[in-house]
Amino acid sequence: MSEKSFNAFEMAQKQFDKVADMIGLDQATRDLLRNPLREYHFSIPVRMDDGTVKIFRGFRVQHNDARGPAKGGIRFHPQETIDTVRALSMWMTWKTAVADLPLGGGKGGVVCDPHNLSAREQEQISRGWIRQIYKNVGPFADVPAPDVMTNAQHMLWILDEYETLTGGHFPGFITGKPVGMGGSLGRTEATGYGVIFTVREAMKHLNMDIAQTTASVQGFGNVAQYAIDKFTQLGGKVICVSSWDQNDQTSYAFRKKDGVNLDELKGITDRFGGIDKEKATALGYEVLPGDAWIEQEVDVLLPCALENQITAENVDKIKSSVKLIAEGANGPTTPEADAVLEKRGIYVIPDFLANAGGVTCSYFEQVQSNMNFYWTKEEVLKRLDDKMTSAFWSVANLADNRKLYMRDAAYIIAIERVAQACKDRGWV
Amino acid sequence: MDKIFPQNPRQPENLDKLINTLEERVKELNILYEIEELLHEPDLSLDEIFERIVNLLPTAFQFPEICKVKITYQEKEFTTKDFKDSPWALTADLYFQERAIGHIRVCYIEEKPMSEVGPFLRDEKQTLNTLAQRLSYHIMYLKLKQIFDKWETTKHSFSGQRPGEWKIILELLKRTDPDVYFRISRKMLNHLVWEGIAEANDLLQRFNPYVVMEQEENLLGEANAPIKKKESTDINQLAKEIFNLAAKYLTNGEILERIQRWMQEDKTSFLVRTTSDSNSSLTDINEALRRYYQINPEGMQLSPSTLIGVRASLIRRFFTDQLEFINIAKNYVRVRDFYKLLQRMIFPIGSHGKLGGKSAGVFLAYHILQTIEDSQELLSDVKIPKTWHITSDAMIYFMHYNNLDEMLEQKYKPINEVRKEYPHVVQLFKNSYFPPEIVKGIAMALDDFGERPLIVRSSSLLEDRLGSAFSGKYKSLFIANQGSKAERLEALCDAIAEVYASTIGPDPIEYRAERGLLDFHEEMGIMIQEVVGQKVGHYFMPAFAGVAFSNNEFRWSPRIRREDGLIRLVPGLGTRAVDRLSDDYPVMIAPGQPNLRTNVDVRDIIRYSPQKIDVINLETHQFETLEIRELLREFGHEYPMLKEIVSVFDGSLLRPMGFNTDFKKDDLVVTFNGLLEQTKFVKQVNIILKELQNRLATPVDIEFAHDGNHFFLLQCRPQSYSKFTAPAKFPEAVPEENIIFTANKYITNGIVTDIQYIVYVDPERYSQIESAEELKTIGRVIGELNKALPKKRFILMGPGRWGSRGDIKLGVSVTYSDINNTAALIEIARRKGNYVPDLSFGTHFFQDLVESGIRYLPLYPDEQEVIFNEEFLAQSPNALNEILPAFGFLSEVIRLIDVPKIRSNLYFQLLMNGDLNKAMGILMPHGSVQPDEDAGHASFGISYIDHRQWRMQMAEKIASELDAERFGVKGIYILGSTKTGTAKAGSDIDLLVHFAGTPEQRKELELWFEGWSLCLDEMNYLRTGFKTGGLLDVRFITDEELANEEVLAEKYNITGREGIERLLLKNDINTTE
Repeated sequence: MSEKSFNAFEMAQKQFDKVADMIGLDQATRDLLRNPLREYHFSIPVRMDDGTVKIFRGFRVQHNDARGPAKGGIRFHPQETIDTVRALSMWMTWKTAVADLPLGGGKGGVVCDPHNLSAREQEQISRGWIRQIYKNVGPFADVPAPDVMTNAQHMLWILDEYETLTGGHFPGFITGKPVGMGGSLGRTEATGYGVIFTVREAMKHLNMDIAQTTASVQGFGNVAQYAIDKFTQLGGKVICVSSWDQNDQTSYAFRKKDGVNLDELKGITDRFGGIDKEKATALGYEVLPGDAWIEQEVDVLLPCALENQITAENVDKIKSSVKLIAEGANGPTTPEADAVLEKRGIYVIPDFLANAGGVTCSYFEQVQSNMNFYWTKEEVLKRLDDKMTSAFWSVANLADNRKLYMRDAAYIIAIERVAQACKDRGWV
Repeated sequence: MDKIFPQNPRQPENLDKLINTLEERVKELNILYEIEELLHEPDLSLDEIFERIVNLLPTAFQFPEICKVKITYQEKEFTTKDFKDSPWALTADLYFQERAIGHIRVCYIEEKPMSEVGPFLRDEKQTLNTLAQRLSYHIMYLKLKQIFDKWETTKHSFSGQRPGEWKIILELLKRTDPDVYFRISRKMLNHLVWEGIAEANDLLQRFNPYVVMEQEENLLGEANAPIKKKESTDINQLAKEIFNLAAKYLTNGEILERIQRWMQEDKTSFLVRTTSDSNSSLTDINEALRRYYQINPEGMQLSPSTLIGVRASLIRRFFTDQLEFINIAKNYVRVRDFYKLLQRMIFPIGSHGKLGGKSAGVFLAYHILQTIEDSQELLSDVKIPKTWHITSDAMIYFMHYNNLDEMLEQKYKPINEVRKEYPHVVQLFKNSYFPPEIVKGIAMALDDFGERPLIVRSSSLLEDRLGSAFSGKYKSLFIANQGSKAERLEALCDAIAEVYASTIGPDPIEYRAERGLLDFHEEMGIMIQEVVGQKVGHYFMPAFAGVAFSNNEFRWSPRIRREDGLIRLVPGLGTRAVDRLSDDYPVMIAPGQPNLRTNVDVRDIIRYSPQKIDVINLETHQFETLEIRELLREFGHEYPMLKEIVSVFDGSLLRPMGFNTDFKKDDLVVTFNGLLEQTKFVKQVNIILKELQNRLATPVDIEFAHDGNHFFLLQCRPQSYSKFTAPAKFPEAVPEENIIFTANKYITNGIVTDIQYIVYVDPERYSQIESAEELKTIGRVIGELNKALPKKRFILMGPGRWGSRGDIKLGVSVTYSDINNTAALIEIARRKGNYVPDLSFGTHFFQDLVESGIRYLPLYPDEQEVIFNEEFLAQSPNALNEILPAFGFLSEVIRLIDVPKIRSNLYFQLLMNGDLNKAMGILMPHGSVQPDEDAGHASFGISYIDHRQWRMQMAEKIASELDAERFGVKGIYILGSTKTGTAKAGSDIDLLVHFAGTPEQRKELELWFEGWSLCLDEMNYLRTGFKTGGLLDVRFITDEELANEEVLAEKYNITGREGIERLLLKNDINTTE
């Protein structure tokens, strides 16, 4: 294979190097943070349904746990490579740090294609994975969660096997559990609400009155719906929502100038966030082409659907009225478009700050599980608000003080926090 | 299956009268049933029976109080109290051996107004006749039973060795039933002649069959001339001589055994005669079967060969002339099954109609399943829905009756005219009337069904001929069948008329025209089937339904083999499983690998779960499609087997439905998890598919439905290709430069023709891209091309796992909407170092690919024995810059090849054949590959054994007919597929002739063989439909060659002597004697 091909880990390292240069990080800390602290590689033998035995390759990478137990998902992926896992574990370290959670970063996985495996075989892989690694992970060392092609079921298998091996109950060892099995309330709301908590704070910072603002939202899934909910609660008005139409294989934007009614829209939406366009018309919504969401005369844009939605081609359609963009989705802005936004002075709350509500709620789940005491939804959401607010101000103040673009400020604050913890511990 | 309802029910004026008449008939039928019960009471004597009947019968008549009955039988009289004779009477005779032995007389003792037959109704007279006939049979039965009892006791009283034993039986027979006596004598004579006894030949000369016939007729009392005594004596004398001769050559035991067998056969010979006579109408056959079972309530045995003969005749009469079908069916279908079938058949008087392919398929499949040893009780709840059949000729009758004959010529009109006129034709049919006896039949069917929703299906005779490809061209209509009988009758007639009209609809006519089948006289049987299901709220539907295929043409994992099969499963009516859906997804399961599901991620499972359900609304009488969630919210607690059908999504997990499930609040997702994990369903479908495939010697597809209690088989036919895919045929010689690739791993069936553009993502270049942005851009460009290129006129080829989430490097990052216009998706796995990466098999949008008919092919260019024309793909001029100039900078990675432009009007053709596990991508002129729906000739096949057996018999026959001395032949040997047992329908018969004659002899011999060869080819054509131009492959061999094993091996490819088998020649046979 060619040496030159795209390598996620190299890319993550490059990004780190750039920030390390900006803050003038010393060489030893750089060397420590450029690579994972620990990597585990192991084999998982599994008796298949047809009686044969197959050996699967498993990984766990703990990039850094200076600030607390490593945290990160387990992926089942057919062509998993150690470089991908390394890169993802590094991103987890920054993600927990920017939200100021007492956690580190990790990632793991198994090279397998669940499409070719029965449920029983997947269970054997999950249990086999933890049997190989249980001495090196745990509620106070390294906490896994569901990720690509794994879900709560896999987590419960892993937890069950772990508890069997260690002889106790440790629900805090895993996050992403169903409510009633050690899961936390407020999980569904967490990301969407979190986005708006940062928006609310950003508006204070920008001297905007949220009750006087309007927003346009891309997407009508879980994140978007709760973002609209909270934004409206706070007095703002969402005037445009776009959603994917499965039948037409395209998206449409639904506009109501005096503000969309969330409950009304939810009533005509299928399970996947698809809004029925006939019914919407009947309810007085204008049905526009899907990309119309971006060209609305609003104060706030909330891209809450997919990555790569604000691109070099459409960034110029953004109206001058737009002062704030909060990235509810992962990576909705391409680098070219990002440069334009920076130049135009639009205030961008970067994705790993804006949607940190999800990982924060995972942290709460872990905390509650360790206490074996579970909070009410109100309590979860209150604490979420506190966490998001303080995370936002750390980044915003840094950006202000050092005249940095928000995205860069977020990275800097994350890396600096991790570097500081390493130093405090006397590692470097 | 079309899901259209008949429109505008119309009110017929003569319906009230019809209902009245029917009520009168019910009264009569009740009496007949009561009498039937009487006859089955074992302890009643004939006298007692008559006593009862004379008191029962008056109630069957319009004026019972003045109706009196008298039965006269063998000098005895039985009467109703106060019987007196009157002029207003009906009489029916009782018969035995076609001679009157008594009569029944029904009198009104007061005068009543004149009606149809005197004061009586025509139906009343009919009832009386039926009763008399029934009693005659009963008398015959009792008499025969007496004879048999006597004979049994006689048998017991002898040791079995006494010489005179059979003589006593004969004597008995001669006196009680001379006809049988003569026929048995004749059979004995035939037997003796067959045995080669010379004296028997002399007797045969004297046995003029006409004499016997005449004799019979005289005995029947139908001839006018008096019986000639002389002939009778002659025959008696002759019979005596025959048996004297038999006694001379045969043992007593042998004679006894034969007489016994022939007597039994004789009692049922009428059945054989009626069924095998192509002139007998369905009425005659019905009558014969009825008689057979009435005189044989205990089922006196026919000899096995006769039985099979009768079955074969019945299959031919009821279903099809197709030999393959008869050949298989005769082993599984019993005579009694036809008797039962006839109880629910509607046909015109004198009908010669058939029931059509659909009826035949399900009838045969069901009876095959009945014969399967089922130790695990997998098949114990398999049923077929209650079905009434209307024979095919009823349609012509209907058209004659309404003077619609000219409609039959509709098919010769230009197709656009047909299309234009069709709506009017439908109205015309629906406003026509059914002949009264058909209406009567339909009314009876409705009584039988009750207020149960029905489906009216076409069962076309053309389906036999075209295999299954033709099915689905005609309509199937659901009717709710609710309301008063008059309304229901009206709606049902309407639906039948509409289905009739669909035979001359534009689509089937166009289809037939394309295939040169317009002149085939199309007749269509009708199946009226109860809809399987239960009431849920005011809706009616099965718990779930679906289709299943023996061969899986859509494998979503390399672990699934083609023979693991495929089930498409939906809740509610199966209409949503049969057709590809544009807005919804059925659940797909490979019954051989039920644990490998199409979707793994919880979100995908939900995303691709069925959202809608087809039901019959019992209030509006309409077929409707509902949102499942809404239906369950309202009527979830009534839905059968819901626990097996849905799971509850709690935000992170899909859990089985619990006792506490709240239908209003909980998120119910159709997963069928319970059905797969907790029930025998998958095993059941698997065994059904496997057994049917084995016994029908062809892959099958079935339709089924489950009402919560039973599994109903709705349809079975050879696996259709029409809806999904047919195996491709490969052209013979393609120039090497026109082959783009070949493949031989994980191939399914499919043909994609006349592709103009190939979009090729160069795997090597793709893997060299360094930035994630650029990798993502590739996905976006594909999406743009998908919009820019003409729909279904391009294919996508590229590395790795398309649409894979999580790691963009593994494959082009696209969603389904980026590729939904392509005709095919081809994933390429290049070897990397010492391993070849896995491909996705399209799993990320697998179900979307299936429902939109996008073909998928995995390609492994670095495998042995495959071609991969990298030069063409990577070096041809790239049109990307012209179509999408903005992305010209990616033209190193994405290559857009305008095939006809660079290869002078050649187009790309993708040919995939799962049977051969072979696929090819080639360049050929436009239109040179026809997607052939009829490919593979989907019909019930003949198994290998039959092909071999027939060839062996023929080879033996040839050898035994060959005059070795005349032709100078020393021996004939059989070899090749006939010897090895692998002969197929079109195989040659390979013969090796050990020849030692003169050139003249050789020439003569070749001519002789050629005659055989052509004859056998014609015979084989009639058997199998294969024609090869000559079935014999004859080679000549000399003394020396035959002695030399090396030459045998080299020249004839025979390893050792076991490879050939010597056949007995005519001369050999003579000498052995």
